[in-house]
Amino acid sequence: MFKRHQNLSTEKERKIETPGPTFKKTKKRPERKTVGVRLERKKDASLLNFNLKRPYPPEKIRIPIPAFAEPCVKIGQVVQLGQKIAEPQGPEGVSLHAGMPGTVEKIALFPSATGSKERMIEIRKHGEPKTLLPAEIRKGWEEIPAEELPKIFRNSGLVTTDPLMEPVHGKIERYAGARTVLINGCEPEPYVTCEQTLILSHALEILKGAELLKKALGAEKIFFAFEACNLEMIELIKSKIYFLKWEHAEVRTVPALYPQGLESTLLRAWFPGEEKKGVVFPASTAFAVYEAVAQQKPFYERVVTVGGECVVEPRSLWLPVGISLHDAIHACKGVMREPRKILMGGPMAGAAQTTIEVPVMAGTNAILALPEEIAREETGVLAGEPCIRCNLCVDHCPVLLSPAMITLAAEQKEFSIAEEWDVRECIECGNCAYVCPSKRPMLRLIRSTSVLSDPAVKHG
Amino acid sequence: MAETKTFYKTTLPPHIHSADSLSRRYWGQLIALLPVFVTACFVGHAEILRVFLICLISAAAFEFLPARLFRKKENPQNGEALLAAALFSLLMPAKCPPEVVVLGVFMMVFVAKELFGGTGSYPLQPLFLARVFLQLCFPTIMSEPMLLAGGGNVWTLVSIGLGGIILFKQKQVYWETPVLFMSGCFVCEALFGGSGTPLTFFSGVLLTSFFLLADPVTLPLTRRGTAFFILGAAFLSSRLSPEGFSIGSAGYAVLLMNLLTPWIDVWLKSVPYKMEKPRKATCST
Repeated sequence: MFKRHQNLSTEKERKIETPGPTFKKTKKRPERKTVGVRLERKKDASLLNFNLKRPYPPEKIRIPIPAFAEPCVKIGQVVQLGQKIAEPQGPEGVSLHAGMPGTVEKIALFPSATGSKERMIEIRKHGEPKTLLPAEIRKGWEEIPAEELPKIFRNSGLVTTDPLMEPVHGKIERYAGARTVLINGCEPEPYVTCEQTLILSHALEILKGAELLKKALGAEKIFFAFEACNLEMIELIKSKIYFLKWEHAEVRTVPALYPQGLESTLLRAWFPGEEKKGVVFPASTAFAVYEAVAQQKPFYERVVTVGGECVVEPRSLWLPVGISLHDAIHACKGVMREPRKILMGGPMAGAAQTTIEVPVMAGTNAILALPEEIAREETGVLAGEPCIRCNLCVDHCPVLLSPAMITLAAEQKEFSIAEEWDVRECIECGNCAYVCPSKRPMLRLIRSTSVLSDPAVKHG
Repeated sequence: MAETKTFYKTTLPPHIHSADSLSRRYWGQLIALLPVFVTACFVGHAEILRVFLICLISAAAFEFLPARLFRKKENPQNGEALLAAALFSLLMPAKCPPEVVVLGVFMMVFVAKELFGGTGSYPLQPLFLARVFLQLCFPTIMSEPMLLAGGGNVWTLVSIGLGGIILFKQKQVYWETPVLFMSGCFVCEALFGGSGTPLTFFSGVLLTSFFLLADPVTLPLTRRGTAFFILGAAFLSSRLSPEGFSIGSAGYAVLLMNLLTPWIDVWLKSVPYKMEKPRKATCST
């Protein structure tokens, strides 16, 4: 339709048309060596079902209780959607909110995604769900002073939506004095599209959330980081920045290589040697911040990609924190064949789960059901053939380590040698294990050194 | 719709792997070697087939022996023995008695490789070690022209070049390896002079730079280190013998540089990006 319209417009009309937004050309920064692996992206399947939906509430949800929070509900109590169910304890704590209306059934230990059992609040569905009420806009939310914002973040239960799940107010306090807020829209892992879907659906809210984060930090600039191949996101955010007339915001790109676009690689690339000058928040955290401040909505749900070849209808959707993987997969019409592995997170850094009863957490960006052909492991003779020093791991390490040397030392239990080769700088991105032709268990060996060579462990 | 299981197997990430594998690499090198081998049969001596068969049978036997002796897991389909046999037969002289070939293969497979721990563990390039050993024991036999380079033919050069292109296409070698080795040899030869015929010299340099240095096990771990190794090997192989570059002198040069490899690894170690680690999550989840 767009094209036809362009064709119909005459030469004269075209001249009268107002010029499109002209973007400021940013200064060219010196080129840095970008290292990574070009992975097959496999994002199209989940992007086909583009609109973000909320599934029908499940029978029960189990919400993990954070370390510095104490439950403030009793067993048998009826809770509403978004009601506070745990109070923050100490300066580092955040509150916890119910992701579904219902009755508190249990407060007990349940299996979690880490493999161990954790304390959780189980809420069972109570009657038929009511329709959602429209959000109540906070009066004068744009004029809230910067000192008030961390308190709002704390009472809204805001944690960063990356695997670290750090409280947002804690991160702001820790990075006090940072000059730049980086809003990360990169998803270098295959299958994962939750940030992309959210940015394309709610660009303005994310920009407003970024502004709030900048205000809370007292920073001067906002950088939006995208992968160079996601042109529509780049154009969308650029045009929004142009129309908002924000001089302090800028869109920057990284090459579409794994692990470029992870927090640590972004800081290394853009603030070499002075990483404290920038602080990275995922775009979905910026969205949650906007909702908490402007719409008074506490953090109890997030966008998660449910995907992988086995899922019938792969898509990104809103899931309440605490919904089990089983219910999440069933919200996407279940699996069409038996998966080999169920992953929480992407295939490069995500954790494989033993059971699908574990709950979704604030840091879960994807739930993947992968079939045998994709998640196959070599068994028998081919499993862990010897290292032939082919240098592939050295050439693909984003931190410029020598994984071959470190793992050879780890095999011989020479942890001091691994230490000399800077094993502590490893960001555990998994590139070395991905490219290794001998299929050696690189990450297991690297983790064995970092655990066992820890002086605290060594000396009891 | 299929039902989901209750329990799944867990492993550490990454859960996907590249399609690269050891056998893919060895078979890839064999494919690159095929044009060289065919040309050697047609242009040079058909004798090469006899030597190759002896090499192959003895290499397979010497691979099998330690697998039984040391109870190692072995993957005979990965083509490693075949590759070693093919390369070794190219380096043998035309009229070579079978027992010398078998001794050379014993030296290459059993002593230089398996006794040091098998694939990936040997400190010295087995191919050159065996060749140098035979050169020291049987100087008269080994001084005869080689099966491959003996012809000193243009077609030999073309086929080695073609094999090199196939190796590049498979991304098995750095582009610097052949470029630096060839330019190093040419510069040394031009500066100090050599006595070999140009065609023999060219085919020897090409074969060494593409195929004999393609085995990464004894090379240093970084790109810079490999470049240093190659330059050192090129200089030494041109200066070790008064006649200039030959496969024999290249053998000594590579073995000498192999001894330096651990030091090169440490000297030219890449400096990692260092940064403050993010603090551990405060949430227990």
